[in-house]
Amino acid sequence: MIQLIPGLQSTASALNAERIRMEVVSQNIANANTTRGIDGKPFQRRQVVFETVLSNQQQGDLPGSGVQLLHVARIDKDQRPPRLIYSPGHPDANPQTGMVEVPDINIHEEMADMITSSRAFEANLAVAKTSRNLAQQTLSIGKR
Amino acid sequence: MVNAIFDQPTYQAAKSMLDVTVLRHEAISSNLANLETPNYKRIDVSPSFQAELKQAVAAGDTDRMAAMKPSLGVDYTATASNRDGNTVQMENELLQMNQNSMEHSLETQLITGSLLRLRLAITGHSA
Repeated sequence: MIQLIPGLQSTASALNAERIRMEVVSQNIANANTTRGIDGKPFQRRQVVFETVLSNQQQGDLPGSGVQLLHVARIDKDQRPPRLIYSPGHPDANPQTGMVEVPDINIHEEMADMITSSRAFEANLAVAKTSRNLAQQTLSIGKR
Repeated sequence: MVNAIFDQPTYQAAKSMLDVTVLRHEAISSNLANLETPNYKRIDVSPSFQAELKQAVAAGDTDRMAAMKPSLGVDYTATASNRDGNTVQMENELLQMNQNSMEHSLETQLITGSLLRLRLAITGHSA
């Protein structure tokens, strides 16, 4: 298949991966106080792990060999222990000690992650815009 | 030989450079996509190409220009700015992208110019 718009594959993969990261951040913030998940345990912070994947147009000597896409390798649970808060009346409190396990989510950390993610998203949008301009210029070769 | 009418060095050089520009754009988009991938090394058009093209232009060898194939490779001159081993710098890439886009428009205009001149020579009126 000919590639009309240069560089679109890697840009698309990055936009997708950044969107997933943003979703994970919003999940973390939303569940900052969740003391009981599906498994009955407090929510654990999730983090995305990025990896590169060679683009599928690698075969042969095509121009574009060497281009690398961005993929989310996995979404990992952060293994930090939960915070303990003394609240004996809480239904999820430990009956002996009266302590409730609350996820150790730092809102500042999540915000910083969110800003990095949105900057990366913006950078990739700028690339998409430029790619489109390049394709348009190429198509206008021979016109005055 | 119909090929002979496209055999001007400027036209062939602009064509080669256009390939390079598109390839460099692909490299930049790959770099910006992997802005935060640990251990990603930035890629670029291999620097040997420019030297080769310069030689071909100096020699006026259009066949060699047409046969040249640019390729991508890891840019070993870039150094990691933080500890995750990633060598991409966003500002640098965005600047290069804009510069590259200007180069692309210069080259398309050059090619358009020589094609229009050719048409003028053939038909006698510029269309």
